[in-house]
Amino acid sequence: MQKVRSNTRQNHLKLARQIVDFIAEQGLTEGDHLPESRLSEACGVSRTPVRSALKVLENEEIVQRRAEGGYFVSLAPEKIAVDGLARLEEVEASLAARILNDRAERRITDVQSISALVRRYDVPRSAVLNALKILSADGVVTQLPGRSWAFQPILDTPNAIDESLAFRLALEAQAITAPGFKMDSQKTGLLRQQMETFLQSSDGSMSAVAFLHLDCAFHSFIAESSGNRFAKGALLAHHRLRLTTQKDHTIPDFRLRQSLEEHLDILDSLERSQHQLAADQMILHLRRSQIRRPQTVNRGILPRMRGAVG
Amino acid sequence: MSKPVIALFPEASFGSALNCVGIAQQLQRQGATPVFLCHPGFNGVFTEYGFKEYQLPVSPSAKQQTEETWQAFVTAHLVHFNQTPTEQLETYVAPTWDAIVDTAMQVEEGLQTLLKRIKPDGIVLDNVIMFPAIANAGVPWIRVVSCAETELPDADVPPYLSGMAADDPARPGFERAYLDVTAASHQRYNRFRKTCGLPPLPDGQYLEASPHLNLILAPSAIRHDRAAPLSPDRFVFLEGCVRKEARFDPPPLPVNEGPIIYLSFGSLGAIDTDLISRMIDTFATFPARFYVNVGGFLESYSRVPDNVYLGSWFPQPSIVAQTDLFIHHGGNNSYCEALYFGVPSLVMPYCWDGHDNGLRAAQTGTGVHFQRDRWSPQMLHDTMSTLLADRHMRDHLGQISSAMKARSGSRRAADAILQTIGISLPR
Repeated sequence: MQKVRSNTRQNHLKLARQIVDFIAEQGLTEGDHLPESRLSEACGVSRTPVRSALKVLENEEIVQRRAEGGYFVSLAPEKIAVDGLARLEEVEASLAARILNDRAERRITDVQSISALVRRYDVPRSAVLNALKILSADGVVTQLPGRSWAFQPILDTPNAIDESLAFRLALEAQAITAPGFKMDSQKTGLLRQQMETFLQSSDGSMSAVAFLHLDCAFHSFIAESSGNRFAKGALLAHHRLRLTTQKDHTIPDFRLRQSLEEHLDILDSLERSQHQLAADQMILHLRRSQIRRPQTVNRGILPRMRGAVG
Repeated sequence: MSKPVIALFPEASFGSALNCVGIAQQLQRQGATPVFLCHPGFNGVFTEYGFKEYQLPVSPSAKQQTEETWQAFVTAHLVHFNQTPTEQLETYVAPTWDAIVDTAMQVEEGLQTLLKRIKPDGIVLDNVIMFPAIANAGVPWIRVVSCAETELPDADVPPYLSGMAADDPARPGFERAYLDVTAASHQRYNRFRKTCGLPPLPDGQYLEASPHLNLILAPSAIRHDRAAPLSPDRFVFLEGCVRKEARFDPPPLPVNEGPIIYLSFGSLGAIDTDLISRMIDTFATFPARFYVNVGGFLESYSRVPDNVYLGSWFPQPSIVAQTDLFIHHGGNNSYCEALYFGVPSLVMPYCWDGHDNGLRAAQTGTGVHFQRDRWSPQMLHDTMSTLLADRHMRDHLGQISSAMKARSGSRRAADAILQTIGISLPR
């Protein structure tokens, strides 16, 4: 039943996109009326789904419902095709990002109902469903029986970051040594340039957030280049998860720079086709990242005996 | 000439560890080679700042200290953090001194071996107890007083850990009680010193002033007048000592308006998740953005309000620099950072010199303090509003900040250290 319902929502969004295409094709402009019957005919569906799709568009301020009855275009013609569609996509993606961010920052709990999310974000159910579908594609949420969705583990705590590093230690070097590893030389050059620029920034001016983006880009690139399709898939999904959910402001400037230099060393070895060396360097790099701060300690009291704290 | 090697030995707490990082960064800039002697469990902290680390060998008994031991400690002491400084003498201060003496005895042999291997030109000790291997190493040793200035006793300075004024009528009673509860550990420590060839220390004292150089963190704005002034030859005041940290961009919050308030009770204070949860409930209704350091206890929180961000660690100097109000436990490092960046302090101490700094903040017009278990949401709300609106305090803090920034504490420390070990390096 749930599957049918969510598919229906997806259909509403698809239909909303079709209506935007229709407006653009017909050259309709701001203030033009959108008769339901015409849309129904053009899209080959009944009026009921057309109404739902129009509600989605109304919420994104692409169309407007007026007191005299019916829907009217509310964007200028030059903006319809580009802005209209982009707005639809952006809103969905940005809602997904907001939901994910709120989960990562522990504002919302692991299990969420659609109606709770509708209330929190003050958006239509269709928008929430689409955002959840985006998150679901990345493996961040799964639909439970009933009307709820459950978040999968994300990188929101030091322990989770710890486990992420252990997972990567098991796989990232393998991704390099698997037969068929092949790097795109243009992308290699670009990444190298970005890291070198970053390294040239003045002491203390490196932002942890910017570093995380670059770090995920580098490790995703290594995954992409792997000859092992499963290592590639698992790592790419994991780095997407890191990028969206890892909150780590704890890395001192020295380690940020050292990390980037380690990335460059790995690229050097890979460009010389020294894959085994690069794999060893990757292990060293990840192990260094694993040795992090102790949890807590105080006067005379011995610290927690933990090897790796993220 | 080879680079002089300076071994820094901070106690196992973030405050002194990171304070020493600030000094080491400057020593390195001035051409020395700083290395760190670190307690077990602190490995990796100094490497991340680019320094070589030597870990103190772990004794078999220390190896048995597990998560369970730590949890037992937390459970045992959490209730004591709500007590007055006098009540804490028996429940917290005495067992802590016992543990400190244990630590000093446990690491002595390992420390001797390490120092023979490193052969430093000088040793910087940022701790509350003397490790005989340091005094016996045959090179100048420098004491860093990173606690409140009360750590150096004087008739006109409030008694250490008392949270009371110097002329408090209860002073003699506190001092007697302090000597009583510490007598056993102090005698044990003095016996240990004797076996290592060091003279005994007066009652209640576990660390002597260095005959070479003593560096005191307390900036002039909060300094006490002393009955017996400290000799400027041996005692150098640093005007704080703030390390360089990675840049911190406060993550935008769903409700991203209003002043920034940063809360950190230090690594030990983060264990009181109930207290922090109650404060967060109050923050939810206050028009400001809150960044809260919850240490290793992030998983204890859920349903975080839209104007609050929780982190397990913040590069503190970088966030304090952007903060309008700093709520802390009175740890000396935190208090000095608040002063350095001209930020008012709301001090809620739970132990040790936090009590002394809490009172000092109120006395010097640099903040307010209240007992951590005696506040109502309205009181917290009103206190935050008052501190944010207090122009007079802000101007005063602005002057303190300018004065501290004008005299780099870490530079002064590095100069004094290099001068003490008799090395003049080109700058």
